[in-house]
Amino acid sequence: MRSPLSRLGRVSSVSVDADGISARSRREVVLDVSFDGRRVYSFWLHRDGTPTGAPGTWQVPWPGSLHRFLSGTTRLTLAVHESQEAVFDQEVTLGGGAGRIAVVNAAGQPLSLDKSLRLVQTFDSRSEENVRPLLDAIDHVLAGLEQAGIHAFLAYGTLLGAVRDGRLIGHDSDADLGYVSEHEHPVDAIRESFRVQRALTRAGYRITRYSALAFKVDVVESDGVVRGLDVFGGFMRDGYLHLMGEIRTPFKRSWVTPLGTATLEGRSFPVPADTDRFLTATYGRSWRVPDPAFHFATPRSTHRRFDGWFRGIRVRRPLWDRVYSRRPAPSATPSDLARWVADREDPTTPVVDLGCGTGSDALWLARRGTPVTGLDFVRRGFERAEEEAVAEGLDARFLACNLLELRSVLATGALVAADRGPRIVIARHLADHLGAGARRNAWTAARMMLHDGGRLYLEFLIQRGDGRLARKQRARVRTPKAVARELRALGATIVERETVRIPRSDRGGGSPAKTCRMVATWQ
Amino acid sequence: MAMKDRMRNVAGRFRAPATHDLRQRVVALEAEVQECRQLNLRLAELTDVVTALLVPLARADEAELREVLAKYHESL
Repeated sequence: MRSPLSRLGRVSSVSVDADGISARSRREVVLDVSFDGRRVYSFWLHRDGTPTGAPGTWQVPWPGSLHRFLSGTTRLTLAVHESQEAVFDQEVTLGGGAGRIAVVNAAGQPLSLDKSLRLVQTFDSRSEENVRPLLDAIDHVLAGLEQAGIHAFLAYGTLLGAVRDGRLIGHDSDADLGYVSEHEHPVDAIRESFRVQRALTRAGYRITRYSALAFKVDVVESDGVVRGLDVFGGFMRDGYLHLMGEIRTPFKRSWVTPLGTATLEGRSFPVPADTDRFLTATYGRSWRVPDPAFHFATPRSTHRRFDGWFRGIRVRRPLWDRVYSRRPAPSATPSDLARWVADREDPTTPVVDLGCGTGSDALWLARRGTPVTGLDFVRRGFERAEEEAVAEGLDARFLACNLLELRSVLATGALVAADRGPRIVIARHLADHLGAGARRNAWTAARMMLHDGGRLYLEFLIQRGDGRLARKQRARVRTPKAVARELRALGATIVERETVRIPRSDRGGGSPAKTCRMVATWQ
Repeated sequence: MAMKDRMRNVAGRFRAPATHDLRQRVVALEAEVQECRQLNLRLAELTDVVTALLVPLARADEAELREVLAKYHESL
């Protein structure tokens, strides 16, 4: 259901404490929370709160992302978003801190919560000078897309801001672009998106792909903040507009193209032909009334369609991005598997570490004189190892490879196999972290890399135990039989298999954890 | 399957076998439809690899071949 609009509800009995904010209002209402006069976040009283038991009173807990800031004193103002009527305005002390509460980043720049409750630098805390590079970036990306034959337009919050006030929305933090492909089949729309990404990469843009039909273009602003510009692909099919992010609604192409224009922060940008219909499809009929806490309510069938057609290339990515967010240093000691491989193989035979993580094993092998290629889908994971390898002049290279993306698998496999000769492929704790599709891709990559002979060394968890290891790594137990079956299905021969008990000191006590080591070849 | 779903399944089997059977079939059908949808991305990826690489690779010598592959890899 689309949002019922906040009306000037009678909000009373407001109280603020360490747990959150409670207020009484019979009607649903959107409230802005400000600290010392600066808006920090907004919420819907009924949707985001729980009834306290007192009639018409709801309590909204502090969002988790704010917890670490809530120690000290602030002048807390609670205002009805639509009318800006203050319903609470008092000095409040939370936690044990002595100073003023400051929701800022490490550089002291003000942060607020966006509609997904993430801490971001929203536009209301940024100067015109800060915003100009973003407008330049929109122009630049639009020009790049135009060159690639794509007529893109402002979409979502950016379109809303432009059409409603001619400005970026204060509580927004990014800029969104969209386009509707000339193609009407998902396969053609995906291929076009790949082609467009290539064109933008060639033009020097840094792209992060979210799905087969949406990607982000990174833009560096004047104060060094890297801001993402989301480009959402779309297409018409069977009288419906499909636009990533996520719209599926009966629509006519003539309501999108030929594109019109709207003014945003004094500049003219392309917008869909019928902005009223477009914004109604996005935010419901009430799009004209501001609501900083708006949540999309997408039918499950739309999610299912978009998930099935376009998603699955970033499964568990947020987890690994978090694991490697601080660019961890590679360990000086190799894994037992790396030692085991090194004891058995000729040190001059090249090694590929599939899923190399921080690159510890790759570096250790390279230092022994083995030519090494480390592959992982999170670049940050191996950046430090890459720097060390360059500094030491080692024969080691590190490449990004996403085993969830067949294109990445085939291109990486071919790139590695372009150097002729046998090699060793190591896949340590890969089988127990990947789903079935990604495992099949991993074994396909290994087969390509072992085109001229060599061996694939696998190690994966077969008994969890209750130690730290499996918990920390979130590995899933696999059976050797199932993994062997997958490999054989791709033509491999299993030449060796053994069970390894993880020593007690490494797993932190409890029942034993066991891994399987498996060696496979392709004839 | 979540515990709640499993319990509902067990309860459903006793209450209305025909409805339970239909529910099961809908779940299976949804999974199969999703499988079919996933072919779109696979097909697009394969076609992209072939169209973006086949001609340049067919024309390339050894050094160019590596460059073509590296460029494609970089663009992902």
